[in-house]
Amino acid sequence: MFKTRVGKKEFFNSVIAIIIAIIFLFPIYWLAQISFKSDAETFGKVLTYFPHEFTFDPWLVNLTDATFLLSLRNSFINAACTMLITLVLGVPAAYGMGRYKVPGSNVFLLTFLVSQMLPASLTLTPMYLIFNKIGLLGSHIAAPVAIAATSIPFAIVTLRPYFKSVPVALDEAARLDGCNSLRAFISVMIPAVKTGIITIIVISFLNGWNDLVFSMTFNVGAEMRPLTANIYKFQNAYGTKWNCIMAYGTILVIPVILLFIFLQKYIIGGLTAGAVKD
Amino acid sequence: MKKILALMLTGAMCLSLVACGGNSAGSTDNSNTDSGSAAQESADTPAAPAADSSNTEAAADSSASGSATEVELWHYFDASNDKEAIIEWVDEYNTLQNDIHITATYVSREELMNQYTIGALSGELPDIGMVDSPDMASYISLGVFEDITAELNAWGELDKFYPGPLSSCMDSDGNLYGLPQNSNCLALACNMDLLKAAGYDHMPTNVDEFQEMAAATTDTANGVYGFAMCCISTEEGTFQIIPWLRSNYNGAGVNVDNLTADSAVHGLGVLGDLISSGSMSKESVNWTQSDAFNQFVAGKAAMCEVGTWHLAMTGDINGAFEYDFCLLPTGSTGTSTSTIGGENFGICTGADNKAACVDFLKWLCSKEKEGEWAVTAGKIPTRSDSVANYDYEQDGFAVFVDEMNYAQARGPHPEWPTIGEAIYTAAQAVFVDGTDPADALSKAMETIAPIVAETPLP
Amino acid sequence: MKGKQLSIDKRKRREAYGFILPAFLYMLLVLGYPLIYNVFLSFKNVNVKNLTKGGSVFVGLQNYIELFQNDTFLLVIKNTFVFTIACLIFQFTIGFAFAIFFYQKFRLSGPIRGMVLVSYMMPMAVTGLLGKNIFSNLGLINNLLSKIGITGPEWLVNTSTALIAVIIMNCWVGIPFNMLLLISGLTSISGEVYESASIDGANWGQRFVFITLPMMKGSMLAVLMLGFIYTFRAFDLMYIMTAGGPLNSTDVLGTYSYMLSFTQFQFSKGSAVAMVLFVCLFIVGLFYLHLLSKEDD
Repeated sequence: MFKTRVGKKEFFNSVIAIIIAIIFLFPIYWLAQISFKSDAETFGKVLTYFPHEFTFDPWLVNLTDATFLLSLRNSFINAACTMLITLVLGVPAAYGMGRYKVPGSNVFLLTFLVSQMLPASLTLTPMYLIFNKIGLLGSHIAAPVAIAATSIPFAIVTLRPYFKSVPVALDEAARLDGCNSLRAFISVMIPAVKTGIITIIVISFLNGWNDLVFSMTFNVGAEMRPLTANIYKFQNAYGTKWNCIMAYGTILVIPVILLFIFLQKYIIGGLTAGAVKD
Repeated sequence: MKKILALMLTGAMCLSLVACGGNSAGSTDNSNTDSGSAAQESADTPAAPAADSSNTEAAADSSASGSATEVELWHYFDASNDKEAIIEWVDEYNTLQNDIHITATYVSREELMNQYTIGALSGELPDIGMVDSPDMASYISLGVFEDITAELNAWGELDKFYPGPLSSCMDSDGNLYGLPQNSNCLALACNMDLLKAAGYDHMPTNVDEFQEMAAATTDTANGVYGFAMCCISTEEGTFQIIPWLRSNYNGAGVNVDNLTADSAVHGLGVLGDLISSGSMSKESVNWTQSDAFNQFVAGKAAMCEVGTWHLAMTGDINGAFEYDFCLLPTGSTGTSTSTIGGENFGICTGADNKAACVDFLKWLCSKEKEGEWAVTAGKIPTRSDSVANYDYEQDGFAVFVDEMNYAQARGPHPEWPTIGEAIYTAAQAVFVDGTDPADALSKAMETIAPIVAETPLP
Repeated sequence: MKGKQLSIDKRKRREAYGFILPAFLYMLLVLGYPLIYNVFLSFKNVNVKNLTKGGSVFVGLQNYIELFQNDTFLLVIKNTFVFTIACLIFQFTIGFAFAIFFYQKFRLSGPIRGMVLVSYMMPMAVTGLLGKNIFSNLGLINNLLSKIGITGPEWLVNTSTALIAVIIMNCWVGIPFNMLLLISGLTSISGEVYESASIDGANWGQRFVFITLPMMKGSMLAVLMLGFIYTFRAFDLMYIMTAGGPLNSTDVLGTYSYMLSFTQFQFSKGSAVAMVLFVCLFIVGLFYLHLLSKEDD
């Protein structure tokens, strides 16, 4: 009796989950399937839901582009640097603000929030002028420094509640064991909020990966540009040749999906562990 | 598994935190140097095999030529022909002389414009820069380009350039800041199969006939429209809309500083009627010029407003149908009219070895080189003495070369972008909202009139 | 259950600053100057003619006054609010529903929850292109609608529907984002609380209202706040999908300010628009802080 009720619930939940997945993933399938269509089919009178004439041509056009591998590397550098800066600066700050009540904490929080409020059109020119002065322009780190300025506040705002919800006893026990505050933070607090930290890792990495405006403005040379910056090139050159554009779009999305599939095990592991055991 | 990840993370955090512990200045500097050194490493290792050829070659050459000044050239050629040609040409020029060594860098058009704007403030500009002709006046006003009037006058070949393209390199006092390297204009492409099926054996000769043909060739059931053009909310849209505003009506045409004239209202009304009668897709307000041309190539538009450079892409049609080109239609009296497009090259403010850069410009825009470039890139020379021997689409080019006689430059005017916005907005109001053309254009004139009152159009 | 903040003494305060200050200084360095720069620029009359040649003067509030007399700007303000509020409502409610749904333990919950996130991870540039494709007249959306007998509108061509299409695309990205953050919030609620509640005989609805909502308050506020900021300053999506058109119907403060500064060279006007955007967000930020401090007390 009990068993079947659980089974029924599992079944209904699964059906709903699959429907949600179809709705959310269909556009991505759409993106990918167009990239295997011939020009004629792309512009055909009838909208087809899968390529009737399968071709790799749109892919070859993009993959053989001279700067493809370099751009791929640059995208990874952008993403990794952004993630690093965000973790190193954002996580301690979130802890500091979640755990301690210090004078001026509202000023800090406001500053971090304010930095999320500046639109790119406002920051581009003055940032360029500063980076030019301090010699960051044309280096791989210029764009990450700017992008991190938006992911650090994000990390602080989202992690702060996590740190607040960790029992103080945990922290104090570590200190009694002779840890200083830094050690206590690293060895006790960070593992305690690992779910949140994984979220920050994923999101700051993606912020770096997906950035368009900053990397485009701070780095002009082809050897410095990430994949996203090339989309303009292809958009101008192809117009609505959707198959070629979508092939490039798919190329941009694939590494993200791969990375995610690899990380997902940990993300979901982290999430359920928190839910079941604690 | 979870534990391992947590450990790894903690380790990474430990390292970075401990590292910054010794540095009282805070971890800002630390994280910078960290990733900075990583970046340096990757810069030191030779670029991946697919590295941009211009850069690697440049590096090899510079060691050989020794004393030459290193000079940076930015361009936005992105079609396969001209993208390769500019690199070859720069390499050729590098071997011809020893004063400068040029490196050509591709920067997409959007970015290039931003870089000039920001560069005007920071002084970080290339030495030689390419710019779309209607934008040049703005960048001259922003101080992006050097005044090279004296150098070019001494050259003695300025009178060979067509006045329209050359004027786009001038400020309002007639000083020169660059040279037009190529030009193009708009004409009408026709799908002759579709015209024949509708009972026409010729292309439209005037606006009335054009309207008739557009209606007759429209085949909604098969998704075929009589006419396709680009009316997108960017300068591309303005470029394609202007000929219709300037076209003749009752024997009179106008300039864009007098858009409330009958002929302009009539011209925009023609396009508005095409939309409301279904002979032209409303989607043209979102189409770029490539999009509109793609519709033509796919056989979904019987007629299409196309640019000179599209001739180089007619191969895409691949024999699917017969096509031909003609002048853009105009009223039953008067001549056709078109818009001039094209790219200019200028010397940027603060360029190293300005004199040698000007020499490169003269070489690039010499009689022979202009002719060669026109063939390579599918453009029209800006010099009357250049001969372009197009090895493809000879007849098509003849139409465009003829159309150049009636084509007008946009501006030059430092506030052209604002004028251009007023124009495409007026057209979109008619197409999308069904606004009366006269009302839409008088609204545009509210923006344009004060601008041209202060600095008149030439 | 919730941890208390440590009491203040000098040593603790030093520790706290040690954790916070690096990030704080970083933000001041990277973003302080841009903000000051723009405040000044928005009170001057810098344009294409005087940017480098000099001669620009302080004009006080003139740029702002002119903006608020400009119909296009008022439309842009309206678009920005409509876009933000509509996106926020759908993203948050659907995102929350998804979070609760996927928080349940069943075999597919993990993998599918992960898969749904992919739409959030795509570069906005690609999302914009995809939107342009599926909302075109003969695109996927209208094709699907026609299958159930509805003739779809010309989404991106009509001023009345273009913004709806952009909102739908943004929700496609925003729902997983909200779900991700809210699910993390749910996870941090200790399971014991629920267990003791179920023992006390609380049903699902009671547990939601009396346990989940109050305990989620912090995460919910954070999600709403961040959602508001990100949506309000949107740029990439419109820039790629519609370029703000047709007829400014999808122009928002972010795209409008960018166009004024970088396409039309009306630098001071562009700055003024960016400042309006900033001030709106600043007010929302103050409100958020106010709520937070109430929660802390």
